[in-house]
Amino acid sequence: MRSIMNIIASNGLAIILTVICVLPITAIFAYSLSAPLDDLFSNLGLWLRETQGWSLAPIEAELRFAKISFALRSVVIAVGISSLYFWITNWLNSGLARVREKKSIGRQSAIIEAIQPWIFVGPALVLLTLFLVVPAFMTLGISFQEANGTLTTNNYSFLWDPKALGYVQFRFAMRNSLMWLILVPTFCIIFGLAVAVLADSLRWGVVAKTFIFVPMAISFVGAAVIWRNIFAGGGIEAQQVINGFTPSYQTGLLKSILGHSPSYNEPLYNLKFWGNFFLMWIMVWIKTGFAMVIFSAALRGVPKETVEAAIIDGANPWQLFFKIKLPQIYSTVVVVWTYMVTEVLKVFDIPYALSANDDDKLLLATMMEAAKNTWSIGGDAVDNLFAAIAIMLMITVIPHMIFNAWRLRKEQKELGN
Amino acid sequence: MINRTLSNVVLALIVVIWVVPFIALVATSLRSEMATKTSGFWTSFTPTILGHRFSTHDKTEVLKSNELRGNIFKRINKDQDWFPVSGNIESIMFKGRVPDPNNPDKTILMKKLVPVGETMEVRGGDFIFETNGDFVWTFPDGSKLKPKKLDVFVNQDPVFAPEAYVEVLIDNENVPNALISSFIVTIPATIIPITIAAFAAYAFAWMRFPGRDWIFIGVVTLMIVPTQLAFLPILQGFNGIASWMMALQELLTDCEATDSCAVPSKSFAGLWITHTAFGQPLAIYLLRNYIVGLPKELLESARIDGASHMQIFLKIILPLSVPALASFAIFQFLWIWNDLLVALYIGPSSSGERVFPILLEQQLGTFGDQLHLLNASAVISMVVPVIVFLAMQRYFIRGLLAGSVKGG
Repeated sequence: MRSIMNIIASNGLAIILTVICVLPITAIFAYSLSAPLDDLFSNLGLWLRETQGWSLAPIEAELRFAKISFALRSVVIAVGISSLYFWITNWLNSGLARVREKKSIGRQSAIIEAIQPWIFVGPALVLLTLFLVVPAFMTLGISFQEANGTLTTNNYSFLWDPKALGYVQFRFAMRNSLMWLILVPTFCIIFGLAVAVLADSLRWGVVAKTFIFVPMAISFVGAAVIWRNIFAGGGIEAQQVINGFTPSYQTGLLKSILGHSPSYNEPLYNLKFWGNFFLMWIMVWIKTGFAMVIFSAALRGVPKETVEAAIIDGANPWQLFFKIKLPQIYSTVVVVWTYMVTEVLKVFDIPYALSANDDDKLLLATMMEAAKNTWSIGGDAVDNLFAAIAIMLMITVIPHMIFNAWRLRKEQKELGN
Repeated sequence: MINRTLSNVVLALIVVIWVVPFIALVATSLRSEMATKTSGFWTSFTPTILGHRFSTHDKTEVLKSNELRGNIFKRINKDQDWFPVSGNIESIMFKGRVPDPNNPDKTILMKKLVPVGETMEVRGGDFIFETNGDFVWTFPDGSKLKPKKLDVFVNQDPVFAPEAYVEVLIDNENVPNALISSFIVTIPATIIPITIAAFAAYAFAWMRFPGRDWIFIGVVTLMIVPTQLAFLPILQGFNGIASWMMALQELLTDCEATDSCAVPSKSFAGLWITHTAFGQPLAIYLLRNYIVGLPKELLESARIDGASHMQIFLKIILPLSVPALASFAIFQFLWIWNDLLVALYIGPSSSGERVFPILLEQQLGTFGDQLHLLNASAVISMVVPVIVFLAMQRYFIRGLLAGSVKGG
């Protein structure tokens, strides 16, 4: 047994070394050999520009086609390299085992079996380690350093100490994060449940569900642009700039409906404190579709007998929902809740796009960017501060990670593995 | 009965709230710049009173008689390519100098709203106009009248035109560039993770190795880690690689002569590999849950026949997993197409290589009063993901439900 472990270890090492040597060199060769393709593509671009009569500048056409060619060969090379990896490792694995254990077939396959899984999970694990796990710990390290590398807790006291500069921003960020954390998942779940229940009982429910669902395909920034039309403030007063007069110069629908006074010309999301709720609403608009899909699947999974029994006992629709259906999909609600919470903690785009420079609308994620801009003059520890805020963000997520790990463990057991 | 009506009303209300923003988006993108500046999108569907300015005649025009006839709409639409004005004339805001009634030697500036049919005195002549835009301007014989600019209020019919789309797509470089960049980032970053994750998912599902379950849970839990946590070290790493590659290039080529040695540390390649890594947890989770559900007898019978894991994976599992691969591909596609954060920190920052979310974010600032352009770019940015999404809805929903609902 001892000797087989040694063989496995040495075979594994041999495979790793081969891969480390062969793959990068192949990649470099593939890239340099296929480089002329870029020129070919830029010439194609020039030719197309000529023949199609594009108004594009020649250099632009060249650059665009060179970029496209680079992307195309990257896809081919990347897929090729990963196939090469699996092919080489597989070949080496069985080949080495055969060489080491010429006679004993059983030991041969034992060696292969021991190494094979690691070959399969290897690339994914290496990527995750290099791009998530190690950087996360490095960020932790950076957050406890000054710019020159000396150890310190200054970056955290900068946030937590009421006398420090960052305290005000950090307090706003924490307050807003807390509000987002409570309100956004709540509203998503309420709307999602409502639509799921209503749509399943109505004939045009499928159409309704599609409409609620579509925002999920849209970027947060796109959603910000969309809702800007609703939340916008007044336009330019017609007489001032353009010839003439228009009866409504409110360009935002909601402000026009609410009859907001034209003297307040800012968009609604710029309101002090209350503006936050308009930003949150955009997130609710996007994410409700998710809750709805999951709830309507869960509601369909509720056993018919329980519902029928309740109806026979004379339950009204409200009782039917709150006393019979909701308790049975309770675990799904919790799952949606945790998903929403992590999404909300990470949300960055909406406040960044609509109110980047407003301390009053900061969230932890946007505060990182704000910190980079605000304190970058003179303060060379900005990166360290950035890291400290990232760690604060991570800390808020940890409970959900633990909960999710626990849930996954349970799920895996149920899957019988 | 009441319940049913109530259900209909509530659902309709929710749907309206969800759909109106889309209508606003498309309507705004099809309006003229002036219209978006001065009125809300909801006024664009019904006749609305809008102001326009027109000049009575061209400077070069020689007036023969003591009368000038013309049409206000024709004058307004003279230089309107996209948004011809039609409708009913309401009134003209007359601004000009008239003799001061109190002091006959002097004139005063007067502003007066003149309704249709009322004669007004313009440059010593009588100006009268009708609802359909015809006007007659009579003036003393022989006087050489300069053209007069007048502000007119028109109860204007709705008019939509794709002017903004033409402008952002053809006259301007930013949107086409962003469209190309977004595709360049998205397609490799969708394909590459799948090849890597599929093997890992198979191993997690059907192979035995020490620590398998815990590693799997660890990997999937990484889904929750905020990606911000990793940006600084990743960037440092890319900086290192970039300077290393620069040195290599200096060594191997004669780039110093053309001053082209610099290798940017923020590049498309960096984005691809970063997205590939960040996409692994979800990919592995979705694919593994799917592969675990495939009948185990498949694996066992193939093993008995002497197939290796590689063969089983390539010949049996991969063809069967196409639905799961598709559902991950949509998730990844939408996620990367719509991603602002990673692109902002890791992606290239030059103006020709911006992806769509970054461009839109910048346009939100710069196009503050060119809403028609902003909305048009937003529409263009959404066309691709919405089509992909609606076309492959089934797979998307399947992916969403994997794991969160039993038997979903």
